[in-house]
Amino acid sequence: MPAIECRSLSKYYGDVRGIEDVSFAVEDGEVFGFLGPNGAGKTTAIRTLLGFLSPTDGGATLLGRDATDPVESRRARERIGYLPGDPGLDRDRTAAAFLDHQAALRGESSRDRLVERFGLDESRRIGDLSRGNRQKVALVAAFMHDPDLLLLDEPTSGLDPLLQEEFAGLVRERVGDGASVLLSSHVLGEVAALCDRVGVLREGHLVAVESVSDLRSRGGKQVRVRVAEDVERGDFERRGIMNLRVGETVSFTWTGEYDALIDLLSGYTVRDLDVVDAPLEEAFMTFYDGDVPGPVGGERRRSGGTTAAETPSDSTAAPGGDAE
Amino acid sequence: MSDRATPWLAIARYDAAGRARGSAVATGLLSAFLLLFLAFFPSLATADVDLDAYVEAFPPALREAFGIIAISSIEGFLAVEFYQFAWLLLVGLYLAYLAGGTIAGDVASGRMDLTLSAPVARRDVVIGRFLGLVPLVVLLNVLLPIVAYVGVVAVGETIAVERLLAVHALAVPYHLTCVALGVAVSTLVARPGVAQRVAIGALFALFMFESVVASTEFSAAADVSPTAHYDPSAVLVLGEYDLAGAAILTAAAAVLVALAVVRFRFADLSG
Repeated sequence: MPAIECRSLSKYYGDVRGIEDVSFAVEDGEVFGFLGPNGAGKTTAIRTLLGFLSPTDGGATLLGRDATDPVESRRARERIGYLPGDPGLDRDRTAAAFLDHQAALRGESSRDRLVERFGLDESRRIGDLSRGNRQKVALVAAFMHDPDLLLLDEPTSGLDPLLQEEFAGLVRERVGDGASVLLSSHVLGEVAALCDRVGVLREGHLVAVESVSDLRSRGGKQVRVRVAEDVERGDFERRGIMNLRVGETVSFTWTGEYDALIDLLSGYTVRDLDVVDAPLEEAFMTFYDGDVPGPVGGERRRSGGTTAAETPSDSTAAPGGDAE
Repeated sequence: MSDRATPWLAIARYDAAGRARGSAVATGLLSAFLLLFLAFFPSLATADVDLDAYVEAFPPALREAFGIIAISSIEGFLAVEFYQFAWLLLVGLYLAYLAGGTIAGDVASGRMDLTLSAPVARRDVVIGRFLGLVPLVVLLNVLLPIVAYVGVVAVGETIAVERLLAVHALAVPYHLTCVALGVAVSTLVARPGVAQRVAIGALFALFMFESVVASTEFSAAADVSPTAHYDPSAVLVLGEYDLAGAAILTAAAAVLVALAVVRFRFADLSG
């Protein structure tokens, strides 16, 4: 039984499309990522699954229960944790009062452990907490009843890198205990770090579902090499090499086999060599366009909307500050 | 399962606790307001003017609006200066305003998402938010008769305790109707600020309507207003207790909450 099964789910706000014909399944124990720019429908999809919005068409099950039926959905929610990117917390209440309330509604088997782990001062008024600390309060509320399914909507927006790491650790632990996760983000790095599979949402449509390892293997290698000889640009202009830059060091994206790369470099005296996975963005954009790997920001075949600016472009920087 | 409380009760408790300070302030201000008016009474009572003749000259609509029957007795004075104005109108509008912000406010702030991501039925949220305002209603109607009694004694007057208690007991169903009206509006209007103003506006419009039509041949139509079923002047001055009115108000509150539940049950939470 999949943790989430989404069948042709559509949600329109009047005439405005939220999501349309979205179908996918999150298997038991899987971490599935929703990736897409702001406004692509990630939040709409998650809020429809949780029953906050009633679907215009299609259906879904959560933990085997009909998500569109209020009673069934409520049963499913006993075992669900939900973390919105910008949680609506009562600013004038203390963290303790808020968590007491949440505990009364959903249980709190792990509350003390989580509060201690995140170093949360429960006696403070939520309004007096920093954004990161407020997110911690919501994080504790989402995880404290040891849910079997986690719906995390832009969960790390507003978290500093250290806390993002802590959060990722927590998610992995829950998954280790058998939980399944649906996580949305507009930051590819975040999704890649946590997810087994990624679904790309664009303008309300799920345009592709891809496993992260496939995505990675497609992206090629980022090669930086410094050689003793003088090199001409022409020496490296060959099949399998993209984004070539020739200067003191030669750098390029390699999409061929390792052996061919070694053959190529064997003609030089290599002083320094650095081979890493190409940034996933490139793989992602490549994939997004159904194109062979090409220079980032180059001409795109698709006419409708995908521009470099819309596509996640920074997986390493903290994603704080640009949440919806 | 065992560590989870009944959702509507948990929501009501949390909401009421969050209102504790505001409720104390409101009670304090209304007590001060009441005592201030009572302090005027001795000079009014001893002044050489026939106040009852004065108010008798008011247009019927105005007398109806403010329930003016007699003003020279302490009961009549309290009824006109405090209960008709503060208890019927001011507290009624305040409760409608607070209730108007409940559901709409939760949805707009995203708080509702967190509440409903827990195993909570929509019905429980509406009922819980309604009940969350009940402690304020009870607090006001338990403390203020005591303040009023002490105040009356302090200015050297006496008042029928039974009537004083009755004017507050009968206020409870009226106030609950105001809360229920606000909650119902809160499920109909998406933006909390607008919902609060609509709730206030609706109650005030009903009050005005009642005042105007009461002295016309269409006086029966005035019954649609909650304010028609709570008459502090009749209680305090004449000792007439409108129990049927209280029953009507209680039923109206229940119907309004039920409407809010039905309306909210399938509503999209689009904050």
